[in-house]
Amino acid sequence: MMEKFKKFNEMLSDWAEWVGFFAVFVMVVITCVDVLGAKLFLSPVFGSLDIMMMAQLIAVSFAGSMALLRNRHVQVEFFMVIFSKRFQALVNCLIQLLCLAFFVVIVWRLFTHGLHLQAGGEETATARIPMAPFSYAASLGIIPMCLVFLQQLLNSILTLVKNEP
Amino acid sequence: MSPEYIGICGIGVLLLLFVLRMPVAFAMALVGFVGFAYLSGIDPALSLLSQDIFESFSSYPLSVIPMFILMGSFAYASGISERLYQTTYTWVGALRGGLTIATVLACSGFAAICGSTAATAATMGKIALPEMRKYKYDITLAAGTVASAGTLGILIPPSTVFIVYGILVEESIGRLFVAGIIPGIILTLFFVAVVAILCHRNPSLGPPGQATSWKAKIKATGGIIEAIVLFLLAIGGLFLGWFSPTQAGAIGAGGALLIGLVRRNLTWKTFVESGKDGLLTACMVMFIITGATVFGHFLAVSNIPFLLADWIGNLPISRMAIMTVVIFIYFMGGFFMDSMALIVVTVPIFYPIVQKLGFDPIWFGVIIVLTAEMGVITPPVGVNVFVIKGIAPDIPLELIFRGILPFLAAIILLTILIALVPQLATFLPSLVSY
Repeated sequence: MMEKFKKFNEMLSDWAEWVGFFAVFVMVVITCVDVLGAKLFLSPVFGSLDIMMMAQLIAVSFAGSMALLRNRHVQVEFFMVIFSKRFQALVNCLIQLLCLAFFVVIVWRLFTHGLHLQAGGEETATARIPMAPFSYAASLGIIPMCLVFLQQLLNSILTLVKNEP
Repeated sequence: MSPEYIGICGIGVLLLLFVLRMPVAFAMALVGFVGFAYLSGIDPALSLLSQDIFESFSSYPLSVIPMFILMGSFAYASGISERLYQTTYTWVGALRGGLTIATVLACSGFAAICGSTAATAATMGKIALPEMRKYKYDITLAAGTVASAGTLGILIPPSTVFIVYGILVEESIGRLFVAGIIPGIILTLFFVAVVAILCHRNPSLGPPGQATSWKAKIKATGGIIEAIVLFLLAIGGLFLGWFSPTQAGAIGAGGALLIGLVRRNLTWKTFVESGKDGLLTACMVMFIITGATVFGHFLAVSNIPFLLADWIGNLPISRMAIMTVVIFIYFMGGFFMDSMALIVVTVPIFYPIVQKLGFDPIWFGVIIVLTAEMGVITPPVGVNVFVIKGIAPDIPLELIFRGILPFLAAIILLTILIALVPQLATFLPSLVSY
């Protein structure tokens, strides 16, 4: 069961990473075209800054879960390794639970933020792109992180239950 | 309870969460959110959380981070690093300790197109370590050189640490970049001197490689032209005011891709792998900055940075003595924390002190980067050392840590030099307007 959940998370995070990769590549392309257009043809890309900002929002929020799975988020490693696996699992349970709860709040608040943006009819400054869908998308992009935290929490509980020294 | 007391408790809880292995970014955001909620109420804290995340993730000034990180990733995928090493190797490989000198010079060259220490160490380690082993170089010297020379990645522009510092203290990234040039060149020369002295005292550490003709040397020089062009285009364009920092990074990333396509080094696989790798690194940095933003709001309502600045500013000791203590704290912090995380956590606390004491923020930025360089090679969390261990798992960690010691002394020497002669860091920035 856990193996299936792990595979599902990897698949979901991989898919989300592709979305992030596409968004970040769009950032590079848009900026290059904008600079070349402005310098060579005096014709910059209309609303390039707005596109950059929204693409970055998507890129970062969708890449978060893969960064988590690949252990790319910086953490202080040296202290806990001196304790037994059981104690580490206990602490991990607490940390994963805190992270899971916190990221559920983040998903909820980003969605609520989108509702506020939608209600206010908020748009980007130049291209007048509605901002609410991007807040919803960022909220959606963070959901795989919650699932990864849940998976890690369950793993820590299993380690604890197995009663390893 | 007073806001100051809550602020101190918050810092204590943050350190506890670090020790309990909560990712630094999430710990800062969580403590910042809970602390802010305690001091200002739950509703403002919930609003602040979503606003900080949305605004940081979609911040145009922060988009400079993914752009310069991608530039380094694509430069590696395009084979620029290999050609840089081949060029320096051809020029100095026949000298005593020549391969290690070539490694230092190639790291310095790659640092000019890549802003990360780990990426520079990993890139050059993969190329240089097998060569040095082939020529029977002392493994301690070889591993120590690659790990240490990789640190040039954050001193020579572009530099992710300068970018993050510039964003945190609202200082011009262009001026910070230019401030790293002279110290970067001096540190490169110091590293070369370290290798030369060690190999002079004990020639068996670095036997000479194969001699090359002048024709071969001149032919090999072509290998660094693309790195120079890329540096001049991105960083030169930034200094000349052609591009904003984000545009410079994007042009650099696009240029690196173009070089890879023209040279036929870039395949779809390497493009995707390097792009995704750059994305994950950028994502990690963006999460740290976002966490620091939330934590910074909590610190601001707790008044801690301002009280600390006032208290330290009124101490009856010289400002240089206070700065020495601050530098020492960074040096010690580097032993236990990732450099980027350490900077993001501490700069909002120490920067008001730096301002209060009248130090130049650009100079302080260079000092911060130098302490960060020490942090990435010192135990127990020296990232570059683990990068080298990952490339060459058979080299014991203690040997790598022993190998970095002479280079660490060189970085400390440069830090003292820049503390005594601030113009080494501030002269070039005074000439640029950006």
